[in-house]
Amino acid sequence: MIIDLDANSTYLPSEEIQEVMKLAWRRLGNPSSLHRGGQRARAEIERAREAVRYLVGAEKGDLVVFTSGATESNNMVLRAPWRSLAVSATEHPCVLGPARRVASAGAELRIIPVNEDGEVKTSHLEEALSRHTDFISIMAANNETGAINDIHELARVARSACPGAHIHTDAAQIVGKESISFAALGVDSMTISGHKFGALSGVGALIIREGIQLEPLLVGGVQESKLRGGTENVMGIISLGVAAQAVRETLSVRASTMSELRNCFEDSLLTTLAGVEINAKGAQRLPNTSNIFLAGSRGDDLVIALDREGILVSSGAACSSGKPEPSHVLMAMGQSEERVRSTIRVSFRADQSKEIVPRAVSAIVGAVSRMRSATSEN
Amino acid sequence: MGVVDLAPLSERPSVVVAMSGGVDSSVAAYLLAKQGYPLVGVSMQVWDYKQNSAENSRATCCSPADFCDARMVADALDIPFYVVDFEAMFQQEVIQRFVDTYKQGLTPNPCIDCNSRVKFRELRNRALTFGCGVVATGHYARIRKGAAGYHLLRGVDRNKDQSYFLYTCRQEELEQTLFPVGEYTKPQIREIAREAGLSTAQKPESQDICFVAGSVQDFVTRIGGGRGKGNFITKNGEKVGEHEGVHRFTVGQRRGLHLGGSAEPLYVVGLNAETNEVVVGSRSDLERDEFSVEEMHWVSPELLRVVSGKTFPFERDVIVQVRSRHDGNRARMTAHSPQCVTVTWTDGWAPVSPGQAAVMYDLNNEELLCGGRIAAHRT
Repeated sequence: MIIDLDANSTYLPSEEIQEVMKLAWRRLGNPSSLHRGGQRARAEIERAREAVRYLVGAEKGDLVVFTSGATESNNMVLRAPWRSLAVSATEHPCVLGPARRVASAGAELRIIPVNEDGEVKTSHLEEALSRHTDFISIMAANNETGAINDIHELARVARSACPGAHIHTDAAQIVGKESISFAALGVDSMTISGHKFGALSGVGALIIREGIQLEPLLVGGVQESKLRGGTENVMGIISLGVAAQAVRETLSVRASTMSELRNCFEDSLLTTLAGVEINAKGAQRLPNTSNIFLAGSRGDDLVIALDREGILVSSGAACSSGKPEPSHVLMAMGQSEERVRSTIRVSFRADQSKEIVPRAVSAIVGAVSRMRSATSEN
Repeated sequence: MGVVDLAPLSERPSVVVAMSGGVDSSVAAYLLAKQGYPLVGVSMQVWDYKQNSAENSRATCCSPADFCDARMVADALDIPFYVVDFEAMFQQEVIQRFVDTYKQGLTPNPCIDCNSRVKFRELRNRALTFGCGVVATGHYARIRKGAAGYHLLRGVDRNKDQSYFLYTCRQEELEQTLFPVGEYTKPQIREIAREAGLSTAQKPESQDICFVAGSVQDFVTRIGGGRGKGNFITKNGEKVGEHEGVHRFTVGQRRGLHLGGSAEPLYVVGLNAETNEVVVGSRSDLERDEFSVEEMHWVSPELLRVVSGKTFPFERDVIVQVRSRHDGNRARMTAHSPQCVTVTWTDGWAPVSPGQAAVMYDLNNEELLCGGRIAAHRT
């Protein structure tokens, strides 16, 4: 039996969502078509939009723009005309990358530091802001450590320091794990990603506060209020809506299930194996995420060793190459490269049971022990 | 919970197969999969082709495109596949030694360093951490278990035989290593790949040195800084021209000297790293009756027993191979210590390049007995 402890990479659709998807594609046309097939598709898309709006707590007038995912959503807000950007050090590469591109075109880029638990504190933010700052991006929860930022408070500070600035948050990881309210956060835009909470991959959304003007990334079509040209990813959007509704109805149970699993796992690992430290332990964390330093191990080898035993984890963020860069997130928290390379991330699903914990712990302990003894022999 | 249940690794014998993306290692994986071994495919990331864009070429192996080929073969065979990072180790143990050896006026053999220091040491270590006790590669060589231990034999295809590069293998490594393609000829391997529908069946041969796509000498200059201009001299010390640095030459080399005005062809007959001088002469100047070999590795069970018995000196009549493309010549080997032997040609001779490997085979030219590095000539 495969134990998927890599939900933060992709949260595979539940069987319930798979069932809906099996039926959905048969009856749908192009949502721009005037006939019945088009009408049904259009209705499904709007139903999904309302489900997402409800899940993320957006107001009626706020825009929910469907995109291909978090990378597109972040790229949509992170480009000219911003002249002075402040983004946090632990942002996902799909925020840092576009920010650097804007900077390379002449804008000023300031990186907001984090503390050793990976949190952006208001003092960090105040230091990074200038009177010119016109764009601020701070992630709601970190994908690697699960550290949660107090976006409401940070947005309040940013708003008072830079009243005209656009405030953005990448909420890709927090949706489906903690409750979130776009309206209450006080930000101007927010990114969400479907496959992080059980929808298909290749679909996400950008939530835009009413009245905020953004330019489309893709032009040439009137879809999505002219903000995203191109025929909609109908199946993806439907899956997003179904997942949003499923998550919304069960969020508090999901969160407590995941945190019970995670805490049980961490307690068990810490008592079984020496040389283990939980990263971002001092921060409020996503309930399902555990980022673990395992002294004397090599994170990427550990991923392979555990995969051999049917246990899926990740070393840092998902990466397909053989030579992953050391996590910029952990480096920003002040950790050494050596320590960073001895780290894995475990992220649970809400539909898992506690019985998987002993097997996971036992496999990790076994693999780390083998690595430690191989190292001491040389 | 306190006690952790660890299943012993011996109960799950699995094989890591090193997959370069070429046809040989693809077939190695295929043959083992067919024999029912639980396999884990591994490509070794040894060199950053993005950072070293001058070397970014399909002519080399182990490039991202080759990994993609390996991945497709692994997927077709339905085996797990990983790209594992060996860059730092490869840089230190292979590339740095390669460059340094050239700069010392010696001729390196990076494939041997890669086998002994990376593939059969570090890859084996990693394999163990992945729960795999055995490593398989696509080398053309064979391993036979005998009463006294493991014997390393040339591959069935003498044109492709790669045992020369494997003389550093220890008994415990031979015990836990598989060379499936060594039992076949290259045309047979291509045929097997074709019949199995492996996507790598028609791939061209990779070059000798995987991390160098262009000129070795330019690579050494670029990575290691080279040695600057120096003189060509004769045996008598007479200057006959200028060259671009001693690291660009190998003893025995004839091409690329760009020296005119000599009736008979000129060869590099000596290199002096200290003075950055290249000594040139005729082919007969390369001839020497004997030469020393250092850093010996003893491979055959019989010689291992003799060496561990410390009965020095001892002699053996052997076939000695002194370059990768050399059929071998008969010689008398005199072992003075576990580290050092003298080789005396007894039937013909071949020019030897200090730094290169000299590998000794039995008189059938079949079993690899021992090998080492050719020592600098005493002049």
